[in-house]
Amino acid sequence: MSARVGWSGGLVIALAFWSLLPGGGAGPAAAQGVPVGTAQNAVGTLVVVRTDGIEHRLQGRGSLPLFEGDVLRTEAASQALIQLRPGIPVALNERTSLKILSRWDKTGGTTRILRVSRGGIWAKAGAGANQLEVESPVSVVAAREAEIDLKVAEDGQSSLTVVQGTAELGTPFGVCTVRGGTASVGARGAACTAPQPANVAGAVSWKQAVSQ
Amino acid sequence: MRAILVIFSLGLVAGCADMQVKEAEEASRSRVFVANESSNSVTVVDGDSFQVIATVDSRNHATHDLAVSRDGRWLFATNLASGRLSAINTRALETVASIATGDRAHVVTLTNDNRQAWVANIGDNTISIVDTGTFRILGTIAVGKGPTGLTFSRDGRFAYVSNQGDKTVEVIDTATHRVLKAIPVGTNPHFLVLGPDGRIWGTNTGGTDIYVIDPATQDKVGAINVGPAPQQIAFGFKGLQGPNAYVTVAGLNRVVVVSADPSNLRILEQIDVGQRPNGISNNREGTRLFVVHENSNDLKVIDAGSSSVLATVPVGRKPIRVVYHGN
Repeated sequence: MSARVGWSGGLVIALAFWSLLPGGGAGPAAAQGVPVGTAQNAVGTLVVVRTDGIEHRLQGRGSLPLFEGDVLRTEAASQALIQLRPGIPVALNERTSLKILSRWDKTGGTTRILRVSRGGIWAKAGAGANQLEVESPVSVVAAREAEIDLKVAEDGQSSLTVVQGTAELGTPFGVCTVRGGTASVGARGAACTAPQPANVAGAVSWKQAVSQ
Repeated sequence: MRAILVIFSLGLVAGCADMQVKEAEEASRSRVFVANESSNSVTVVDGDSFQVIATVDSRNHATHDLAVSRDGRWLFATNLASGRLSAINTRALETVASIATGDRAHVVTLTNDNRQAWVANIGDNTISIVDTGTFRILGTIAVGKGPTGLTFSRDGRFAYVSNQGDKTVEVIDTATHRVLKAIPVGTNPHFLVLGPDGRIWGTNTGGTDIYVIDPATQDKVGAINVGPAPQQIAFGFKGLQGPNAYVTVAGLNRVVVVSADPSNLRILEQIDVGQRPNGISNNREGTRLFVVHENSNDLKVIDAGSSSVLATVPVGRKPIRVVYHGN
């Protein structure tokens, strides 16, 4: 029997050794499962809190894996850019807090969900697995092949601006179809407002710094 | 050729008619659904023969509470450990959606029009509002500490939420989603249910009493000690007597029967059941009570008329909640 270890055998040994290092291999974060995205850039600091309370910080460019259940937080003067799999870019404005979730259903498969408790995000959703839903305390945005900007105030009031495409803004009291170039607002105890023309460029200008 | 086509067409018509008959038969059957917390499943029992029909995997962990739609086609189940709501198609007997609501999703109640499922998340101190058509979360309502019970008034104008940590029941205006009032009720309030007279009945599981709230005044209008760790309440008739409230009292291993008149609450009877009774539900006529037992892992069917056990049905591990649907 040969004792030689080929390149693939060496890789296995190296991976096994790496898995024993602190932070490598199957740590608590890995227990959350397969990464659902990556944090790619932060102006200031992006704080990522895992489901077990472990915190990671991204400053500047990087490649921090994101998992279902993670809470992402930016403070004052901080912004971040993340990429959700398979291909949904999302920017977080300052003072934003959101949780990464999903819904599974037999017909539609898995839908990626961001639950925003405060702050603002920009996202570009695609079709199929690249659809996105964004929940706020008073509403839900369903985006398919649409570029959106959502601002969530401290009281939960949610202002949706659709840059391109069409998105739905739903509250417990009704649903509005919001087309590109228009905006609608959802507030507690009320149906969404009728979409009105909006200054789209102004609404998303905040993300320039983090998108570069 | 024409004869073949005629025979084929007749066969198709007969097949469709057969399917319609089967569907109608299926829809007319009564069902009892049991949430098994430690088995992560729902046991489906025939409400007439008391035979187990199926066990449905909730596709989540720690299946706790149940709500069935008025037409019986949908069953919603909370899952404490997953923080998720399972949507179960009762015809197909399978979980068809898993919805992230909040930390330690505890109880679920459908709005009176069945368009929304409200879920109390005991770890987040919130109510999630789920669209039962799209399974989207339409919003959340912040409530007190440890929401554990949830029900709606007859007219749907008010939702009632019991908060274990605050020892209160909060009244929510369903038109504005704002909390109108917090009513002090007692130690560790838990289960809430709409009573047959339109009043709200609740258990103080950390204590020994149950209480009644009148939606006309939003005040507690009655309370009675029934024994240690009262769990859930259903309603039934004993012949001409009733409606009576049937309360599972875990500390006694009994169902305590209370007159359902809040101005004259009194214990009428105590029925010995299994070990640590928790969930209880009644059939539409109020002649049968279905009780599940956390420790003995079974469902007992009680005849309200004779207060005797008609059947004992083994279910999953740690059954917590039982709901009945009949047509």
